[in-house]
Amino acid sequence: MRSDYKIAIRAVTRRFGALAALERIDIAIAPGEFVCIVGPSGCGKTTLLRILAGLETPSTGEVAIVQQDPARPLNTMIFQESSIFPWMTVRQNVGYGLRLRGIGAAERARRIAPLLDLTGLARFADAFPYQLSGGMKQRVSVARAFANDPELLLMDEPFAALDEQNKALLQEELLRLWSAERKTVVFITHSIDEALVLGDRVLVMTARPGRIKADIPVPFARPRSVVELKQHPDYVRLNHEIWKLLRDEVRPAA
Amino acid sequence: MSDRPPDIVLIRPAPAETALHLSPALLAVASPLLLLLGWEAVVRLAWLDARFFPAPSDVLVALWQMLLTGMLLQHTFWTLQRVLIGFVLGAVPGLLLGLVMGLSPWVRAFLKPAIAAIYPIPKVALLPLIMMIFGLGEPSKWIIVAIAVFFQLLLSTIAGVLGIERIYLDVARNLHATRLQAYASVALPGALPSIFAGCQLGLGMALIVVVIAENFGTDAGLGYLVWRSWQVFEVTDMYVGLMMIALLGYLFQLAMGRLERRLLRWRPAATAMKGTP
Repeated sequence: MRSDYKIAIRAVTRRFGALAALERIDIAIAPGEFVCIVGPSGCGKTTLLRILAGLETPSTGEVAIVQQDPARPLNTMIFQESSIFPWMTVRQNVGYGLRLRGIGAAERARRIAPLLDLTGLARFADAFPYQLSGGMKQRVSVARAFANDPELLLMDEPFAALDEQNKALLQEELLRLWSAERKTVVFITHSIDEALVLGDRVLVMTARPGRIKADIPVPFARPRSVVELKQHPDYVRLNHEIWKLLRDEVRPAA
Repeated sequence: MSDRPPDIVLIRPAPAETALHLSPALLAVASPLLLLLGWEAVVRLAWLDARFFPAPSDVLVALWQMLLTGMLLQHTFWTLQRVLIGFVLGAVPGLLLGLVMGLSPWVRAFLKPAIAAIYPIPKVALLPLIMMIFGLGEPSKWIIVAIAVFFQLLLSTIAGVLGIERIYLDVARNLHATRLQAYASVALPGALPSIFAGCQLGLGMALIVVVIAENFGTDAGLGYLVWRSWQVFEVTDMYVGLMMIALLGYLFQLAMGRLERRLLRWRPAATAMKGTP
């Protein structure tokens, strides 16, 4: 049977003891789609992503993910905080997923090389993480996820801890990598700008317990230029629209 | 408001260090050397009873003579062998069980009470029991050393694994690491700094235990040398034994430090120490 979705989240709820984190989430995500989820902090967006990543299970409901190629990993997560191993060099970190799958050193090197170039890490391939800046560490996380070549990328506010310049650079790098491979991406952020710059669609979540409040298509053509996009009148309008939706959620929580 | 003119704070280059620029290596040798010199002086001046505190120079002469007869190397070799065999016998299972207990809350909950109960028993108090079971020969010495080392390694490995940030295990899980892969790529390297601390403590413990164990059922080893010297009141020989034990302990620390710097290159502290004076 052919399916037109990549991920179908059906009536998923998640409770931690008495605390309801997610309430009846229904989302369908198409193959190759770049979906951004914004929501106030504590709304359960990370929980939702961890469920997709297989690190948590839903309390009720189900998630269906279509796996096209059983030989490839289904999903890879990029975490918010630094998650690269301090005891491995940049090269070893980027190749970690491949090594776990038993891919030999020569083949690993071949697959990693272009990613190290694209992310500007080639010169630091043999450096240890403590020798890198925060921005470079996050580049290593992104390169590690892409090297793993999953069908689905799950990103949990990966650039939140970075300064504006680094953030913009990494967003462009991400778009470039994504446009080359068209993976399905679920990207969590609290930045409306980031969601509009990156996504095909922005899902707005309510305060806890998290529900999907709005599903907003992002109409901008690709490839996008981060700087020019922000001048676009639709951009300003959408930004304001999402901001109003979020403001109503932040208020009762505050 | 006062009429006083404002003070001016000047920040200037630090004056170049000139007079005393001692290297840390020199400083490290200085304290034992000064101790020995002071000791020698105090004995020569007869402020200390040479029967109990022979002058270091006399000890060195005795040490040299024992070295020439080959006796000293024999004793050292036996002690070294017992420590190393016992260390491996204790460290390997301690490390492996520590990794398992660190990663599995189940195993940890199951075994922790037993370990907490056995650990505080002074290991040398087990020596009579071990000699009853394994006899007076070499195995009982290996085993008592192994027991002492086992607990050090076990506890520091558990602490090391528990200290690893959760996110690293999440990454391994998300990338579908098998259990064995997670042990090898996350738990072991992540716990390594703590494991090294455990090895250092374990080696120190091994020396303590072996010296006591060498009081029984053997006529070789530095511990034996010390105990026999006590029985025949050869105080100078006793000091030779004590010096060699101290030297062994020092060499162990040195070797572990080397190994640690090599294996823990990824730690900023380990590398920074090399660069700073």
